[in-house]
Amino acid sequence: MKFKLIYPRWEKLEGQTIFNLPPHGPVVMAAEVPKHVEIDFTDENVEDLVIDDSPDFVGISMMLTTQVRRGWEIADQYRAMGKKVIFGGISTMLHAEETIQHADSVFLGEVEGRLAEVFSDFSRHELKKVYNFMSKPPDMNLIGPANRDILKKDLYYHKGFRMVDLFHASRGCIYDCYPCAVRYLGGRGFRPRPIDRVVEELSQMENNRLFIVDNSLALDTEWEKELFRAMIPLKKKWVSHTIEDKDEVLDLAAQAGAWYVYQAVFDTSDYIRNRIKQYHRYGIAVEGTILLGLDNQTEDDIKRLIDFLLEIELDLAEFTVLAPFPHTKAYSDLLKQGRIFDFDWNHYNAGRVVYHPKHMSAERLAELYQYAWDTFYKDEPQTMKMFNLINKVVAREISDGTYTPRRRDIADLSFGKKVTSLT
Amino acid sequence: METNPDFNKYMDRYYDFSGQWESPSRCGLKIVNRKDGKLLAIATEIYRQNPGTPVTEWCAPLASAIMKDFKSSPDRFIFIEHTPDLGSKLTFYGETFDLVKFEEADGNLRNPSWQRLTPGQVDDLMEG
Repeated sequence: MKFKLIYPRWEKLEGQTIFNLPPHGPVVMAAEVPKHVEIDFTDENVEDLVIDDSPDFVGISMMLTTQVRRGWEIADQYRAMGKKVIFGGISTMLHAEETIQHADSVFLGEVEGRLAEVFSDFSRHELKKVYNFMSKPPDMNLIGPANRDILKKDLYYHKGFRMVDLFHASRGCIYDCYPCAVRYLGGRGFRPRPIDRVVEELSQMENNRLFIVDNSLALDTEWEKELFRAMIPLKKKWVSHTIEDKDEVLDLAAQAGAWYVYQAVFDTSDYIRNRIKQYHRYGIAVEGTILLGLDNQTEDDIKRLIDFLLEIELDLAEFTVLAPFPHTKAYSDLLKQGRIFDFDWNHYNAGRVVYHPKHMSAERLAELYQYAWDTFYKDEPQTMKMFNLINKVVAREISDGTYTPRRRDIADLSFGKKVTSLT
Repeated sequence: METNPDFNKYMDRYYDFSGQWESPSRCGLKIVNRKDGKLLAIATEIYRQNPGTPVTEWCAPLASAIMKDFKSSPDRFIFIEHTPDLGSKLTFYGETFDLVKFEEADGNLRNPSWQRLTPGQVDDLMEG
């Protein structure tokens, strides 16, 4: 059986450096597809999708809200050709009711231990409209190594430099943050993977640079320390979300290869200032993630925040405007107050304003978003700051013998497309 | 961000319901039988103690279920959504009350619209 698995494209933010990372959802899903099924994977962000082929079964994996409309469009075309289409992934769950209108089946929840049933039903022409495992998380012992063999790896290089591979060590989150849908998607508890299974997967990954995509690593101190201790011999270098602010934990994280972290910067407090200093003391760089447009921010607050970011010497900063994704408290609150004016999901890219902010107009917030990017990167462009970060990791890799040189044979390609002559 | 586990004047029991995609879900509940014969229900979002669908997202089915469980009808039923103060640094996790109005279809409630209330207005509605 030939199963065509598609990761739909989405429009990238204007003016931003484009990085296409190998997607995580499809490789996690692919690990659970029965062995007799041949998977043909297309990531539409790095290659053209050919629709006039003849797969037996089509799967569409969607992570972002900005992918759903394109996903529905692809499904409509395949279904018009008589093909059966199943959807899965994070944004399938966030937009399930709408997605069902374009699907033969939707899979809601996590896949481990569940796909044999789906493919068996398909083979018997008894595909169910909904496979609902939303409140039935799988046994974490079942989560084995992802199947990255489906990826066309050469497409995830920029001028010969390989992008990080995505990896996860836990699911769920104990917090209920205002703009986040994890409570809906992954339940309201923290579910760490057993450390031996994490190490098993990491050991199989030939890419030395990773992005650990867990919602937060700072949710269980003992597990976090055990994880970092187990990672030290693997000599990986990695990016992650927040790490706990305990010195013992940060020391282990640094030894385990922490390269840089994404740290939310939500105010101008000493807490944030000291947090950044603490990471830097351990040689861990920081990319600040700054969410603009919350109800407690005036125009002056946003300008003060940007000045503060320059003072605290962040290594990188990423600005977004609040996007009220379905199944978040932000969405509930703004919907109740009648403040969302744009329900075109293609616009929910965290760079466009789709609601009326409390203290300014939508247009003014859009201007401040642009002002934030321009001001932060005025003296040193984003590409230069990234280059500095890469130099740091290269130095560490050379010192511990894990450095892999840039690939000269594809140095004139960026994500599979020709960009410049070989230099 | 734990909800105060103590019940209070707006919540004196838990109510279990089947949320979106049949997720087992829970909210706080206060039922007031008003002097005028109307039934007032206050459903409280209890965040981490709710394993499933939030109150706002399941507002119409939840209100319909409560209305039926307590033998009320659309013309005698008043529904208020309550979010408690979580003591968060973020102002939008403060205490709020919303009177929810619905359309009726075949004895069920649908198409909610929300109107923000002050605690004083809630107390007045509880008095009837």
